[in-house]
Amino acid sequence: MRRFLWIAILAALPLAGCGNRNLILTVDVLSFMDPASRQTSYGPIPSGVPVETVTVFQDSLSLLQGVGDLSRVASASLKVGASFDNTSGTANVEFQVYVAPETAASPFSVPPIADLPVQLLPGQVTNVNTTINASPILADALTHDRAKVAVRMIFTGTTFPIQGTETLTELTAIVVLKQDL
Amino acid sequence: MLRVRCVAALALLLLGLLPGSAPAQMLNARRLGMGGVVTSDNGDHSSSNIAFRAVPKGTMGSSAIPIPLGLIQYAADHPTFDSSDSTFNIFDALNVLTNPPLTIQIVKPKDVSGDISVYIAQDSLQIDLADVKRVIPDGSMAQGGVYHLGGFGAGIRNLFVQVGPIVHVKNEFTLSDRLRDALKDAVPFTGDTRYGVSDDARAQAAIAFQAGLALRAFHLPGENEKENPDPRRNGATAIYLGAAPKYLLGLAYGDAQSEAGITTGDTLFASSNPVTFDMVAQTRHATIGGDGGVGHGFGSDVGAVLYHQNVEVGVGLNDFLSQISWKTTVRRHVYDNATNEFTTTEVATDEHYVSRIPVTATINVAKRMGETTIAADAVAGELRTTLHAGAEFWLGMWALRAGTYRDANKIWQGTAGAGIRLGKLGIDMAIATHSRNIERERGAELSASLSIY
Repeated sequence: MRRFLWIAILAALPLAGCGNRNLILTVDVLSFMDPASRQTSYGPIPSGVPVETVTVFQDSLSLLQGVGDLSRVASASLKVGASFDNTSGTANVEFQVYVAPETAASPFSVPPIADLPVQLLPGQVTNVNTTINASPILADALTHDRAKVAVRMIFTGTTFPIQGTETLTELTAIVVLKQDL
Repeated sequence: MLRVRCVAALALLLLGLLPGSAPAQMLNARRLGMGGVVTSDNGDHSSSNIAFRAVPKGTMGSSAIPIPLGLIQYAADHPTFDSSDSTFNIFDALNVLTNPPLTIQIVKPKDVSGDISVYIAQDSLQIDLADVKRVIPDGSMAQGGVYHLGGFGAGIRNLFVQVGPIVHVKNEFTLSDRLRDALKDAVPFTGDTRYGVSDDARAQAAIAFQAGLALRAFHLPGENEKENPDPRRNGATAIYLGAAPKYLLGLAYGDAQSEAGITTGDTLFASSNPVTFDMVAQTRHATIGGDGGVGHGFGSDVGAVLYHQNVEVGVGLNDFLSQISWKTTVRRHVYDNATNEFTTTEVATDEHYVSRIPVTATINVAKRMGETTIAADAVAGELRTTLHAGAEFWLGMWALRAGTYRDANKIWQGTAGAGIRLGKLGIDMAIATHSRNIERERGAELSASLSIY
């Protein structure tokens, strides 16, 4: 994979022609993930457990590793989308995205770069999405080092049991590069 | 230093995208105003048809001294070559390199600009070059030509001798249909597909030692022969012939035919390495003082021109039957995808090889009617055929000109010009459209030159 990606980028960079032109790399990270890891079942969270944390996935990604060596990252952003099919219970959920350097002990050892509030109602499907813009940590993590990426949900329930399925619908990295000749 | 090397490498890469050889600028404003047409009396005509050497110059014959007005424009406003400058544009820089600023550019094609987008998913890759697509041609990218780089000579009556260098270069770079579609039309890359390029490059240099004869072979005097010895305007019927065999001392020869490609796997970005690379190149070379030594060959320039009732019809063949014999070294270079290594095999040493210098044929017709000349020509070379047509009208000391030509990019262009003649000296200006730029799009230029009549 790495070799073909390099060729694609190396072919595009000269044609970008330096100067004030940008090379915009859009990487569908989700497509590289195991389909099974895109979906997470939660619950049943019984009464008496007011707060429950569920890890959706955590992985080590290096999709654009090395690109930063031949080009300057002007900006990086991440689009995240998820769908909650909540079969029972009511809860407020914090949907959190973490990106940490490979050297970090855990992706959760750094503050989340996105924290979306989601309200789940029984028998309803709730879709959420967000874009994390201009994140230097993200730019550095995506292009210069392997990055530890993780998504987790923190449930605060009000009616129980809480049960359902969460599906990641989008995880797209957008990196804007300027060629440094 | 690294920056300089990168810029140089980038320039070389993009030179491969240049349009069918930016033909040399025409700096003779008199001729450019007439669509660049060749006649026996406007400018550097004897290089097109050796028989023109024998035709009397005539009262309207001239040679040109270019006035490089474009340098003034360039000094006032030119693109930066500093890649760290935010205004740096590699395409602007290449346009300067391939189209020296000797004429004033009145209309320039829109700059190549805009962002480039690459979309990557596990089984998808799409590259949208946006505005850069304009520089990718529909067919092969061929450049080159035969260049006679001056020299010196002498002549007595109808005989002449001359010595001069001759250089022939040609490069033809071709994208496979799939790769062209992917780059030019942003068609997504697909699995199990080969994306390839091929290149055919050739270069040779020689010194030509030439001796020739140009003479009037047939003559029926015209009505005004005594008053006007110019066969273009006195109604005479005359045939002029020229022939100049030449010995070619080959200094260096090299060619390379190469093919390279990437074949994608079932899934474009699978976890294992799903692509295979292939590259094969065969080179052949000989150089003075090195492998194979000098080459030896012969060639000729021949031409004929007929005048009848003030109509001129000329046929000139330059480098006719010109070829050089070499002792060449042939090597084959193959990339092995499995070992990630190149291997070079010497296929032959001192192999006899005959290279050809392609002929350039010029056919021209012209008709003089009093103060008016109308003319047309076709010039056919190895890579392209250009057509020119134009007219010149003299109103006393003033001349008005107009013309058209089909250029190397097969685009019809228009020209117009004017001039004034003061005795033996004249000054001419011409405005012409052209497509000598990396975008192969129409621009317009103003050219000026002095004419010596």
